[in-house]
Amino acid sequence: MEAKGIKKNTAIWIIAVLVLFVLSIILGIIMRLNQGGAVHLDPGTFYADMTIHGITMIGIWFVAGMAGVNFIMERYVKTSYRANTFALVMTVIGVVMLWVSTLIGDFHAGWTFLYPLPFKIAWSAWATPMFLWALAVLGVGWLVWVLSLMTALLKKYSISQVFAWQHFRNKNPEVETPPFILISMISLLGVLACLIAAVVLLVLLFAEYYSHGAFVNDALLIKNLTYFFGHTIANEMLYLGLAIIYELFPEISGRPKWKTTWYVAIAWNLTLFFVLLAFFHHLYMDFVQPEGLQIVGQLASYLASLPSAGVTVFSVIVAVYRTKIKWSLSNLLFFIGIAGWVIGGVGAVIDATISNNFLLHNTLWVPAHFHSYNAMGNVLFSLGFFHWFSVEYSKRKGPERLSSLKLSFLLLGGIGFLAAFYVAGAESVPRRYSSYPVEFTSAKLLATLGAVFATVYLIAIFLFVSSIFKRCINMVLHRS
Amino acid sequence: MHKYGLTSFLIFVCSFLVDAVAQPAAGWQETNINEVIYNAPLQIISGDHVSMHQLAAQNPLVVAFVFTRCSGICAPLIIQLKESLQFAPNIGNKKYNVLVISFDPRDSVKDMENMATRFNLQHEGNWKFAVTDSISRLISSVNFNPVWYEQTLQFDHDALLVGVNSQGFVTKKLLGLRNSKDIGLLINSINNVFSPTYRLPGQSNLFSCYNYNPKTGKNTPGLGMLFIALPAILSFSILIIIRLVSKSKSA
Ligand code: HEM
Repeated sequence: MEAKGIKKNTAIWIIAVLVLFVLSIILGIIMRLNQGGAVHLDPGTFYADMTIHGITMIGIWFVAGMAGVNFIMERYVKTSYRANTFALVMTVIGVVMLWVSTLIGDFHAGWTFLYPLPFKIAWSAWATPMFLWALAVLGVGWLVWVLSLMTALLKKYSISQVFAWQHFRNKNPEVETPPFILISMISLLGVLACLIAAVVLLVLLFAEYYSHGAFVNDALLIKNLTYFFGHTIANEMLYLGLAIIYELFPEISGRPKWKTTWYVAIAWNLTLFFVLLAFFHHLYMDFVQPEGLQIVGQLASYLASLPSAGVTVFSVIVAVYRTKIKWSLSNLLFFIGIAGWVIGGVGAVIDATISNNFLLHNTLWVPAHFHSYNAMGNVLFSLGFFHWFSVEYSKRKGPERLSSLKLSFLLLGGIGFLAAFYVAGAESVPRRYSSYPVEFTSAKLLATLGAVFATVYLIAIFLFVSSIFKRCINMVLHRS
Repeated sequence: MHKYGLTSFLIFVCSFLVDAVAQPAAGWQETNINEVIYNAPLQIISGDHVSMHQLAAQNPLVVAFVFTRCSGICAPLIIQLKESLQFAPNIGNKKYNVLVISFDPRDSVKDMENMATRFNLQHEGNWKFAVTDSISRLISSVNFNPVWYEQTLQFDHDALLVGVNSQGFVTKKLLGLRNSKDIGLLINSINNVFSPTYRLPGQSNLFSCYNYNPKTGKNTPGLGMLFIALPAILSFSILIIIRLVSKSKSA
């Protein structure tokens, strides 16, 4: 019953994610059209659009990763249906509150709601507390979910086993830790840390808000906590997607299961530790942050990303190079997604290098790299899982149609959309401008091109989503 | 459970803060930044009649508030400002005017002219000494509150410099006698050049990342730093607790 419940919940998660994804892409295209001058929003509306686009995208691809990991984890341990359902209900409530606070209340402080912006009320006064309470509702739901999954793993595996420490020295240890378990645990622990950072952050913000200025926050502390939460969750959600790939890629390709080797174990353990320190690279321009932390930020950015990317790419290349592979839509999406993740990762490492950051900080280079590993990385990891799940467990089986057309549109649209961001970033066009001053000569043209390519990407997503959507609706509506 | 913990912590923090009512002096320097200064009509000793915004549009302004019968901080404020402007770093090509304005309604243009002469500034082109008939609106737009004492026939007031950019926005406020480095930052800010600034510690700010000691001039890590480390510490502790509890249950 519990396993069936998780399956049904997974289908509901997928439906919710896909609906919100399509809506958020439309908001993204409207932003690019506004930056290109094709439509005219007032700045407040643009920033409300940007805020809800950013926070929804981060939220949905995080829960997509969690839902996938929860579903696959059932293969190894028993997980809690109740925690999964609780998170689902809290997510629905939280998302409704977020959309009301931005679209009706006009809250527009950006998805990072950087202090003191939420308190410089330029919108309906109720929108600030509603936005912050929405985050609290989401945080509580997700915290319970994460803790329940961690508990499920720790009932079966000891701490050293769950982090695969026995693999460091021993080639064939008595207890083998599957890579899925290792990467899931590492991601869950990271998610736990960033959700705790969010709790501390929200408590401090509420204290200032409800004390009417009797208590004020330290801007440096709040910025550190904001990026502890924001940067870390944006990274951990990628790792959740990668955990799924380590499990499903070989399986779908008809290859033997991937095993945890000493270098896989070391690389992911490095990620566990260093990803919690990498957020310092968001504070390079903060002159009051001590220099030591800036250097930690740069080194941690390298050490969190390069080893895990290296071993993942190596594993995928070994799996596909000169071997007969059963290619399907799912493993093609995984494959392209890994390429998008690596390209975005290189862009991120370039930006995280202090000397480059002087040039690239807050230019469109930043959305360029994070859209690469999201729109053409993590999204494809989850779409690959959604496709596999919906085909594997639905009664509406049948040949997948228009696969090459879908992939061609996805690649064309995605690459074009990202290229417009990269070129503008390299030309120092600033990010988060609702419209560009004339001094940025190419910015408007690039924004319009970005909107056109994003529309092609949207068409591809429609094509993908419709069949997955139908199959999942079917699963939810039919008792089985 | 977490929710209750969170709420009670919040109530604790708030109730404890009710006593720590915001001190007007703490953080006073940060008020009014990015607000438009009152567009007071000015009578300058040169005989010109211009408004504050018109004057700022010619060149961004450093506004100094004084009164001519002042026996306290006014003279040191002007002398220090004059000297600091000579030595302020990186302001060579920056535009600015200094507007010295009286906040005492009894001061006349003649009184201000005498004051300019006293400091040998009457012929300095970018020093403007002036009075206005709208002083109360002007000072309240920058949150400057001098108090008159009948016994001493003096105002009790702060030494205040206000930076105003050419669009009439307050960009920075400096309290007290300031060195040439601070004045350089002020000139940069009125020219819309980034100038680092941070909120001064006050009683209502409990969790600073650093505590500044004015005696030693050194920063030491504050309680805020602990908050940054807290999420990681708690996560690893929770991990260990979950494992210990599940192990003892299964045993
Ligand atoms: C084709 C799809 C998409 C389009 C057209 C789009 C468009 C945009 C645009 C125009 C911006 C503002 C850029 C700026 O000037 O700073 C933006 C910001 C952002 N986008 Fe997307 N985006 C898309 C997909 C995604 C995806 C998949 C994610 C997943 C996480 C995402 C997350 C974000 C975030 C976090 C921001 C920053 C918001 C902020 O600064 O507050 N976007 N996007």
